[in-house]
Amino acid sequence: MTKVVITGSGAVCAAGVAPADILASVLSGKTALRPIEQWDTTGWPTHIAGEIPNFNARTLVEDRKLHKLIRRTDLVGLYAAGRAIEASGIVAHRDSLPAEDAALYSDRSGVVVGSGGGNFENQYDYFPLLTTADGDVVTFGRELSNTVNPMWLLRTLPNNVLGHIGIKYGLKGTNACITNHSVGGLLAVIEANESLRNGEADRVVAVGHETPIEPQMVLYYHDVGLLASELLRPFDAARDGSQFGEGAGALVLETETSAASRGAKVIGEVLGGGYATEAEGLLAIRADGDGPERAIRQALEDSGVKAADVGMIVAHANGTRASDSSEAAAIKRVFGADIPPVTGFKWAFGHLIAAAGILEITVALAALEADVVPGIATLRELDPECAGLPVSAAAQKPRSKIVLVLCRGFAGTNAAVVIRGR
Amino acid sequence: MKKRRVAITGVGLVTPVGNDVTTTWSALLEGRGGGAPISLFDASGFSTWIAAEVKDFRNALVTDRKLLKFTNRSHRFALEAAEQALIDAGIRPTEQDGHRWGCAVGAGMMTVDFGDLMETHKHSAPEGELDALRLLSDGPANDPIAFCRGQATEGLALLTRRHGIKGYATSVHTACASGGQALGTAMKLIRRGHVDRVLAGGFDSMISPIGIGGFCLLSALSTDNDTPQRASRPFDATRNGFLLGEGAGFLVLEEWDAARARGARIYAELAGDGNSLSSYRITDSPPDGDGPIQAMRQALADANATAADIDYINAHGTSTLMNDRSETAAIHAVFGESAKQVAVSSTKSTMGHLIAAAGAVEGVVCALAIARGEMPVNANLVERDTDCDLNLVTTAKRGRVRATLSNSFGFGGSNSCIVMRHPELVE
Repeated sequence: MTKVVITGSGAVCAAGVAPADILASVLSGKTALRPIEQWDTTGWPTHIAGEIPNFNARTLVEDRKLHKLIRRTDLVGLYAAGRAIEASGIVAHRDSLPAEDAALYSDRSGVVVGSGGGNFENQYDYFPLLTTADGDVVTFGRELSNTVNPMWLLRTLPNNVLGHIGIKYGLKGTNACITNHSVGGLLAVIEANESLRNGEADRVVAVGHETPIEPQMVLYYHDVGLLASELLRPFDAARDGSQFGEGAGALVLETETSAASRGAKVIGEVLGGGYATEAEGLLAIRADGDGPERAIRQALEDSGVKAADVGMIVAHANGTRASDSSEAAAIKRVFGADIPPVTGFKWAFGHLIAAAGILEITVALAALEADVVPGIATLRELDPECAGLPVSAAAQKPRSKIVLVLCRGFAGTNAAVVIRGR
Repeated sequence: MKKRRVAITGVGLVTPVGNDVTTTWSALLEGRGGGAPISLFDASGFSTWIAAEVKDFRNALVTDRKLLKFTNRSHRFALEAAEQALIDAGIRPTEQDGHRWGCAVGAGMMTVDFGDLMETHKHSAPEGELDALRLLSDGPANDPIAFCRGQATEGLALLTRRHGIKGYATSVHTACASGGQALGTAMKLIRRGHVDRVLAGGFDSMISPIGIGGFCLLSALSTDNDTPQRASRPFDATRNGFLLGEGAGFLVLEEWDAARARGARIYAELAGDGNSLSSYRITDSPPDGDGPIQAMRQALADANATAADIDYINAHGTSTLMNDRSETAAIHAVFGESAKQVAVSSTKSTMGHLIAAAGAVEGVVCALAIARGEMPVNANLVERDTDCDLNLVTTAKRGRVRATLSNSFGFGGSNSCIVMRHPELVE
């Protein structure tokens, strides 16, 4: 089978603007979750999230003309993708080729994005018009073009990052935009890997991005009991929910041949992936960990990796009672008595939803390079339901260079990816 | 290793010209248009106040009230069309094999209900700016059912739960290419061996003040409000924008040998998928067809077919000035001399543009064209555009359809192309 290597990575979230920064922040043991600044949370039942500090559209995306056409989530997606593409050198290499070869190179370069679906704030662009219309839809129609940005619909597109990466870097190959909640980013890696294995492309940029920290979203998640009162404490007896983060992660995947032909620096290898659905509805998950267990087993089989060869596990570890305990059950069933060190990163910068899995891969690659399994600093007392899970507040040592990254999302979806680091 | 082939064994449709496959198909053959003044709300203040709505719809096959409570309009179309497809295929996931079933859907982007938005505006933003504190006592903003209905993956959640689909389940969105992308993804899942059967499709409904408003702001819609039946006229020289439709299309896909082993009726082989990015502008492809050309070539190569094998093209054919010209150029570039022979129609001329559902619905159209030996018309073609010199189907054509090609191009530049083949040519 075609070997798929990683030649670039990029990431941005509350804990930093590059994978190495984010790892350093995680290793410092301090969470980047802070009081929300985007709106006044006085009187709110929840007020903490992982916002990107000093969020600045221009430092994320230089082209100001673009700012009117895209949203906050697209800014972070384009930022991470840009860093990964630059780090890999694929576009610089393409631009050094004769025109005909360069055109073919572009056609063989794909983009796969995991993106959040609808948001609320975008719809609020219609609020001033609704005030003018005062409940009258005819007036709403008449006054539409006087009040609303003509590009409104384009700003709303869930696939903006895909389209704009294509335009900016001239990538024209196979592509997809996956709007599959929290597993979107990992699915982007799985689908990118499969297109390379199947010869549909020679290199694919995989991205996940999401900025879910907006009032109505936070309120809904709080109301259905998914948000923590304060800190996010995965696997802890006292855990009481997750917290949102925002940001993006990106990887450049290439066939080994493509990377070798231009002498690219290889930072990792995608070994395989797995995926399973529990089919219990949008919010429900099974207590027995059936979904994550099947996803992990499939990922190991697809990778040709034995459970004993896995050096560390980056769990979904979102801090909700039901997800963490069922995830622990799944890991214990697959790995038996021989579980590699387990960690999770969401305590440090929040749950990035569609960006979560792929950003966590970028951090895991940095961790493997530093030969460390970062601790879960907010962990005080392991929940007896998770007993036997080798998690720790302190850093551990990976037992090999192979990491398993897990992700779980709404609609009972579960994805797992196996990566070899350096 | 032998390549796993993919059979289409069931289809379901809810469209502006029929709430099932049979009714839709006869309308497509006759070119009976679905356009009319919008009835879902008073659209008379908008520059476009016509659309192709799904008419007299009720969930005839899916009556689970608890499930329906969590649906928006497009989810109800999806549940119905998916049920039709499963009944048609005569097979369903079971407790034993649910993990060998996948689900791949193209879901619409419009997730917030307009009624909910109005209520939130009234309560939490009466002056036009959101007051976050007021949101805490807002009705829709604290209604968990509104939350579920508004999630991008709610359609997927409803389908997988109802049918017990426990393998790879995914929701994709590349605007107007979404449905085609979902079919391509579904085909690959079976080829890879991850699953043996997939429920695949697309669903959308944007006929709301925000959806219509968004397209009006872009001047993308035809403003022929007095002649809604003629508003969508792909490839006609006088075309002036698309007609917004809504609905759902679903297919049951099976690994070929498994379908044969159970004696399933096979409509067609889902034989090839092509995917490209135009990387030109967010709203259209370049006039020379670059982008769509690569997707069509890839789909043919993936199907191990040549342009000469294709008897029918279901064009993206939106009836906008730019799309139809660019698509024509792409068809000429790929088909060369055989562009003169291959029959082409855009069924958007009849149904309007179903956005995220379009590629899936048009996939069903291609499967039916092969199975029935009939090709639907490109309605409303009166004045030929010299830039669109294609062999357009002006009256429904009968004849053997060996293979079909279906194009879907989306805002954002994604191009999807799907090739299907007559089942008798597979073995």
